[in-house]
This record gives sequence, C-alpha cells and structure tokens, in this order.
Amino acid sequence: MAEQQIISLENVAIYQQNNLVLENVNFQIKDNEFVYLIGRVGSGKSSLIKTLYAELPLKKGTGNVAGFELHKLKKSQVPYLRRKIGIVFQDFQLLTDRNIKNNLLFVLNATGWTNKAEMQTRIEQVLTLVHLTDKINKMPHQLSGGEQQRIVIARALLNTPEIILADEPTGNLDPESSDIIMNLLKEIQKNDTAIVMATHNYQLLKKFPFRTLKCENFCLTESNSPEELINFEM
Amino acid sequence: MITKEEIITKRRIFTSYLTTVVSISLVLFLLGLTFLLVLNAKRISDHIKENFGFTVFLKENAKQADINVLQKNFDATSYVKSTEYISKEKAADELKSTLGEDFIEFLGFNPLLSSLDVRLYADYANSDSLQSIEKDFLQYSLVSEVSYQKSLLHLVNENVKKISFILLGFSLLLFLIAFALINNTIRLMVYSKRFIINTMKLIGATRSFIQFPFLIKSTIQGIIGALIAIFMLILVIYFAQNELKDIISLYDFKILGSLFGIVIILGILMCLISTYIAVGKYLSIKSDNLYY
Repeated sequence: MAEQQIISLENVAIYQQNNLVLENVNFQIKDNEFVYLIGRVGSGKSSLIKTLYAELPLKKGTGNVAGFELHKLKKSQVPYLRRKIGIVFQDFQLLTDRNIKNNLLFVLNATGWTNKAEMQTRIEQVLTLVHLTDKINKMPHQLSGGEQQRIVIARALLNTPEIILADEPTGNLDPESSDIIMNLLKEIQKNDTAIVMATHNYQLLKKFPFRTLKCENFCLTESNSPEELINFEM
Repeated sequence: MITKEEIITKRRIFTSYLTTVVSISLVLFLLGLTFLLVLNAKRISDHIKENFGFTVFLKENAKQADINVLQKNFDATSYVKSTEYISKEKAADELKSTLGEDFIEFLGFNPLLSSLDVRLYADYANSDSLQSIEKDFLQYSLVSEVSYQKSLLHLVNENVKKISFILLGFSLLLFLIAFALINNTIRLMVYSKRFIINTMKLIGATRSFIQFPFLIKSTIQGIIGALIAIFMLILVIYFAQNELKDIISLYDFKILGSLFGIVIILGILMCLISTYIAVGKYLSIKSDNLYY
C-alpha cells in the first residue's frame, strides 16, 4: 500500500482563547509515521493536538485529518472524526463511574457496535495487547497510573484508528511504566497506525528516536538531531 | 462475581440517586397539594353557593295541591337544585324557637306565610341570573314575594373570585419554585458528571448518544418521585377525609385521577427539561471551562 498523508496542515494559526500560540504551521504526517511533538510548557503542543481532534476550532489555514477537513468541520461531524482517531490523554479520561469493561463497552456502543459477542472479543483483544486482561472488572481508581494509561491506549485502539494522538501519555508515569507505554505505541505504529505524541520527556526521545517536531517561539519546526534536542532541554 | 467494593459503589450511587428522587417527590407533593386545592376550589365555591338559597313566599289562600304543583314546576326547571316546602305552622315553630317566645299567643294569629325554600345550582348563583329567576317566580299567581340576601350573594361571589385569584397566583408561584428546585437538583447531579460527559465527547460519542441515558434516567426519577408524591397525597387525603367530607374523598376518582395525572406529567416534564438543558450545557462547553 502506498504511503498516504493522514494528517496535513497548511498555514495554520492556532489560538488558545484569542491568544496566538502557533503560527504558520505546515506539516504532513504519513499513515504509518511516529512523530514526537516537543516544546516547553505553554509552547502550544497541547493546543496543536487539540486542534487535530477538533477540540479547538481551526480558524485560520487549512487542515485535513483522516479525511476530515478541519477548517470546514461541522460540530455534528466532530464525533465521527474522533472515531478515526485514538486519543491518549495525560490525565487518562476514563469514565470513573464504571469498571474497565463498561468503559470499553461504552466506546463500542457509542461507535455503533451491536453484536455482543464481537464486542466481547474486541475488548479481550485490546486488553490482551496491553496485557491487562485480568483487570477487566476493576474500577479505574483501583488501577495504577501506568495501568490506567494502558487501558486508555486499549480504549483508543478499539476502533482500529488511523491515528493515535497522545498528549504527554507518560507525563504522570514512572520511567518503567513509560517504557512499557512507549513499546506499546511502537507496536501499534508497526501495524500502520500514525502516532503523534506530545512529550517533554527527552530521555524517551533518546531511547526511542523518531521524527520530531519542535514548538518554539510560536513556530513549529522540524528537528532531526538528538544532540540539538538535548541542548534544547538544558 | 461481585466484589465488596462494587457493592459499596453501587450503594453510594443508589444513595445519591435516592436523594435526588426524594427532593423531587417532596416538591411534587407540595405542588400536588396546591393543585388539589385548585381543583377543589370550584367545588368549594359551588358548595357555598348551592347552600345559598332564596325563599319564595306563597299567598295566604294557596291550596296544598296548587303548592305541590308549583313545587314540581320549580323542580323541573334547569336552575333549581332542590326545593323545600315550609308550611305556615312549621315557619311559626321555627320562629318560636328562634325568638324563645310564643308570639302566636301574643298576637292571637299566625302572621307568617307558607313558603318554598329554593336552592339553585352554583352556575345560577349570581345577581344577574337571580334577577331573572325572581321575575320568573313572580309570574306564578301563587307567589306573593321572593326574598334573598342580595348583599350576601354579592359578597360570596366577590370572595370566591378573590380567593381563586390568590390561589391561582400562589400555585403559579409554587410551580416556579418547584421547577427551580428540581432544576437545581438535577443540575447538581449533571454537574457532578461533567467530566464524564466531557470524556464521552472525547471518545467519539454523539450528542444524542450521551444525552439519551441521562434523559431515560431522569424520566425514571420523575416517575418514581411522582409516585412517592402521590402516595403522600393519598395519605393526606385519607387522614383529612373526616374533616373535609364534602370537599374531597378517596372515591372521587375523576378529581384524584386528574390530580395524579398532573403530578406524574409534571414530574416527568420538569425532570426531562432540566436534564436536557443541563446535559446540553456540558455538551457544548469547552473542556477548559469545566474546572470552574
């Protein structure tokens, strides 16, 4: 299969409540690429990711994510865009009032699955991927941070998304859990899923080098040498 | 397999659910009481008006047979509810016991006229109708005089009007209060789930998919709240039955049916509208604005 651009932004300006955070954003991401998004706190990483899943409206420029035109996106289309994207949040965003199984079931129900047996199989599949099949009846608060994040990744995988957007997925985790998450994401990327991951964990960048985009001074730039990154951290 | 933890969680969810239902039912109960009054207001005023009668005095020489015919004629009209014949002697007895003095002995004769006490249907107990009814009655040759208390009638009608207005205003006010309270309760419940609603949005659920379970749940809460309110209303009516014999009884299916119907419909409607608005608010809000 020929490589295709799953995300492409042209001349995009990103605003957070009328404050400009990023200007002249131009980049493309192929459908099996792993891309880091780095930058200082407040440099616009999260805003960029939020724009990609239409939490922030695209007011200037044009953007295309998984076949949806962000600049023309209607409110009613937002849920359908999000079904093509798996989102992994720093603060997990699990449904705290129900157990893991029902968390995953909710997504399946919400996205139009009807066959109970198929749903059960799919849930077991994604939980096996993240090695957490034994936690299926636990409540979210009964799991550790790393486990919750793996559940979130499992949830993001339910509908075999074309893109995974991860906003500092390791932000709350210890190094060991971070490595587990990274290996998971790498596995997922190998199965032809694009991954965009915002992070400020530069050790991870050294350990798992991928294409890196840097947010700095209202601009998004390509950054390819790890040394430069390390210096940037200093 | 159900863990102890799950039981505790379920119990906590049930408790918060119960609190909401109880507040809804208390408000609906108050509303139901007012509606009971409003629904009965007409009956109460009718009750007063129908006890309001007038006296048709008959001529001295009226024969008993003619009087019977006249009484039947009166009864046959559409506006007369009941008539009672009071003979000369009976009138004298009544007056005697009122005065406490045997005035016949004193006067040497009975000056009182025999009469018919006429009670009208409530719809005709107003001064306009009474005037024309009086005219009708006076056309009979046996009738010498028609007497009723014009000012009393006027007073009754004025007061009924005033009380109805006050009652109506009061129930409207209570309705607003009820809506505000139920709305508040439900908004709090939805507020406590605002992050969950936001999460549902983030994982690709449509608005209606998120809203639907909330609406179902609030309908059920409305129904249960209304049923509890109805149960309390039945208790109140049951215990007040002796005091309010003429006004309401448990066997008055028409009024009670409409009362219970109103309570259930209002319960469901208020819960549904409040939930729809509250959930809609958190569906449209940006996630940054959820924290305050």
